[in-house]
Amino acid sequence: MVSKRWLRRTDFVLIGAVAAILIISLITIGSATHINNPSDERYWYVERQGIFTIMNVAVAIFLMNFDYKILGRYGNKLYIFNIIMLLAVMFVGQSALGAQRWIQIGPITLQPSEFSKIIMIVSIATILQDKFGRINSFRDFIPIALYVGFPFLLVMKQPDLGTSLVFMAIFFGMIFASGIRLKILGWIFAAGVVCAPLLWHVLKDYQKMRLMVFMDPNIDPLGSGYHIIQSKIAIGSGLLFGKGLFEGTQSQLNFLPENHTDFIFAVVGEELGFIGATILLLLYLLLLWRGIEIAKEAQDTFGRLLAVGITSMLAFHVLVNVGMTAGIMPVTGIPLPFMSYGVSALTTNIMAIAILMNIHMRNQTLQF
Amino acid sequence: MEDNKQEMEAFNTRLKVLTGVIVFIITVLISRMAYLQIYDGDYYASLADGNRIRIVPAVAPRGIFYDRNGKMLVTNRPGFTVSLLPLNGPISPEVIQNLSTLLNVPVEKINERIKNHIGFDPIKVKDDVGPEMMTLIEERKDQYPGVVIEVKPIREYTMKEYAAHAFGYVSEISDAELEKKKDEGYKSGDIIGKFGLEKVYDKELRGENGGEQVEVDVTGKPVQVIGKKNPVPGYDLYLTIDADIQAAAEKAIDEQLVQIGAKAAAAVVMNPQTGEVLAIVSRPAFDPNLFAHGISEKDWKKINDNPNFPMDNKAITGEYPPGSTFKIVTGTAALDSGHVTAEEKINDIGHHWIIPKGNADGEVLGWINFEEAMAHSDNVYFYEMGNRMGIDTLEKYARMFGLGKITGIDLPYESDGLVANRRYKELNFKEEWYLAETFDAAIGQGFNLVTPLQAAMVMGEIAADGKRYRPHMVDRMVDVNGNVVKKFEPELMGTLDVSPEVIKHVQTGLKGVTVYGTAASIFRGFPIAIAGKTGTAENPHGRDHGWFVAYGPFDNPNIVVAVIVEQGGYGAQSAVPIGRKILHAAFHVPTPEQIAAQEAAKKKAEQEAAAKKKAEEAAAKAKKQ
Repeated sequence: MVSKRWLRRTDFVLIGAVAAILIISLITIGSATHINNPSDERYWYVERQGIFTIMNVAVAIFLMNFDYKILGRYGNKLYIFNIIMLLAVMFVGQSALGAQRWIQIGPITLQPSEFSKIIMIVSIATILQDKFGRINSFRDFIPIALYVGFPFLLVMKQPDLGTSLVFMAIFFGMIFASGIRLKILGWIFAAGVVCAPLLWHVLKDYQKMRLMVFMDPNIDPLGSGYHIIQSKIAIGSGLLFGKGLFEGTQSQLNFLPENHTDFIFAVVGEELGFIGATILLLLYLLLLWRGIEIAKEAQDTFGRLLAVGITSMLAFHVLVNVGMTAGIMPVTGIPLPFMSYGVSALTTNIMAIAILMNIHMRNQTLQF
Repeated sequence: MEDNKQEMEAFNTRLKVLTGVIVFIITVLISRMAYLQIYDGDYYASLADGNRIRIVPAVAPRGIFYDRNGKMLVTNRPGFTVSLLPLNGPISPEVIQNLSTLLNVPVEKINERIKNHIGFDPIKVKDDVGPEMMTLIEERKDQYPGVVIEVKPIREYTMKEYAAHAFGYVSEISDAELEKKKDEGYKSGDIIGKFGLEKVYDKELRGENGGEQVEVDVTGKPVQVIGKKNPVPGYDLYLTIDADIQAAAEKAIDEQLVQIGAKAAAAVVMNPQTGEVLAIVSRPAFDPNLFAHGISEKDWKKINDNPNFPMDNKAITGEYPPGSTFKIVTGTAALDSGHVTAEEKINDIGHHWIIPKGNADGEVLGWINFEEAMAHSDNVYFYEMGNRMGIDTLEKYARMFGLGKITGIDLPYESDGLVANRRYKELNFKEEWYLAETFDAAIGQGFNLVTPLQAAMVMGEIAADGKRYRPHMVDRMVDVNGNVVKKFEPELMGTLDVSPEVIKHVQTGLKGVTVYGTAASIFRGFPIAIAGKTGTAENPHGRDHGWFVAYGPFDNPNIVVAVIVEQGGYGAQSAVPIGRKILHAAFHVPTPEQIAAQEAAKKKAEQEAAAKKKAEEAAAKAKKQ
């Protein structure tokens, strides 16, 4: 399947950045989890994440055979599928920490809101491609906002504040790139600022607590504040060079809960130090820069919008997740792309990269 | 094409802005890393290295129960918990072995706890060890490295079995409960209300746990407190219970059970004008203290093997045929539906003329009117009422009284009871309704079932001229600063849709019960006018159940009582004496013993005064001389 022609058209910088992050991820997950597992299952998480990475990459390579433009035909169907999926979570989903987010299918627990993100990008790109450069009034804007608003509210209701914010980031990234008038954008932000206090009442107690804790972690040092305090200690104590892999006392001794999922960046900070953390962040910069470049070079509007949506999604994830572990963003449960343990998120992110690659490839076909 | 080019330029500009945003984000994050890891790094390194952080939890004390007059009923006492807090590596097997011997906890159990524990708060070995054990361990601290003593509040029911079914009990949260309540902030190892008021008001009673995040040095000594959250005590409950009436009811029941050799009973005392529950008793009972730190197998077996179900609150869960107390409903229905007038006399010839069912002891009362029939609890009269009304009318009125469904009291596991009706029989027996069953229903037998609380409610509705208030146990919730968080007001649940005349006749008939009727001999000389109704409910499994319901003072009732003695035989002999003692206490009528004691005290005082006077006189005399 992988021919020489294919290789020529591959974006090696993008692949290299993602591969590097995935390798760091597997090592870090291993470091974070091996001590808490019984000896015969010491590397259960690493193995699982590794297997799913390989499977996903295989699927992604296979998907290269199809033109991404096919997706455009399914935009609306995917949108409806997305709504059904989100409703299913609400009715048959399993709850954890006050939120219904999981659906159990056989041995695998799926987190539909993860897949939902990429579906949203495709659906938004489908409807925006006809309006590209022509969103000049509220009359143009409101139908799109309603289209995005419905699934947004469903995710909010789960409640999954993190994912609903990701939807917002995707939406604004794409609509901004579509050339929406800045004046309209200004009004929307003004309205957002006014409505923010109303939103407060919609939030669950634990969500309010998280936001309050963000202002002052000592409000709840045993609960959600504990994560932030411990995470900061872990990162800070990594100093310039880190304590070395598998040597981080904070992470290893389970001071830091969820250190293989949402707080994995703290393990990197502790064990690999400032240098390791910076390298990882620069790898993300490289990845995101490629995303923008692919958008720039894409041959059609649909491709441009897809690339912008994917880049916005990944950038927002990196900002909120790393910001959270470093204590400058509230705790919202957004994983770090390609780093955090989690099969659903991993699949979504690899598929996102596959789409970027696909756009890049088809673009070159024309030029050659 | 020109247009498209312009569009592309605009797009590229926007992309440049997005690139700028991305570069900015990464720059901010790297700067933050530099700040944490390089600028502030030494501080965090000192926290993480060499030193350690520990969590010292502080359990919030549970809200206290007071009676309506502010008397403390249920409280907390400090208990000492022995826990493990590994500081430098695992706890040595030697220490575990010593602890095991000292506390009588198997070594395997301790190791299992250690293995299953996640996090850095202390691992519990044994709860509530007593001060001797605490001193023993504290004095030999060097022999027990990594062993700590925590002080936790332990629920204390100072009066043991007293009102146990109303108070309920607390125990460690079960896995099933945890699964259900995780979202409400319950954690593994939490103490949770399992029964009674403890269960119903658990969320309000439990308060909010706190604790400290402490930095400790290598020897485990605290160096500094990093974070602190003070525990918030739970809300105190001021119950509607009157401790004196409760005590009198418990005592009266216990004495009576011993005297007549019965094993189980229940009583409810309420204010019919508000729905406040003044006392609620169920026998046999249990000691809720046994559950506070895990009941022993032996104790649990003892409770479990008791054939009379000590864990059931029979006052609200027990369903019994109401027997003749149901004639209150039948009588109200017959008068209000116009099937009889209060004046009409019916001839009791010892049995009914259609179906030969008669009075319990075969008495023949001759021509009697409504009020006489009620006072003497004449079966033949009420069979005839059933005959005239039919089961459907009777059902309608029974439901109007609120029977056949829970009263809505704030206690768990309340039963519905059952109102005899055609549909029930059809569904369960696939048979049509027979007249004989209407006869049975009219005197509270057959399919009819009520809880003692429902029996009290029916009597209360007559007392309160048809008004039915939701029975409740809590008057107000008060926070730690003494502010009333919630006040429970009387809640009107329904009003009998019958004419006031009807209620008057029923009331007069019920007053006759204690004046010349079935309870007259026991209420002779009682200084307050009481309306009552006895009942003897046939029990297919053994002796009859004895019932008594009453209210008073007759003209302005503020007390209603319902008593049942399981397998106690005649209500007049088993339940009425208990009812009388409860009413004694409720109206502060001195008992004969109290009168005797008072007189004795008076006499003594007089004698002392006389003696004193004599002495003074003698002294004066001596002075003179």
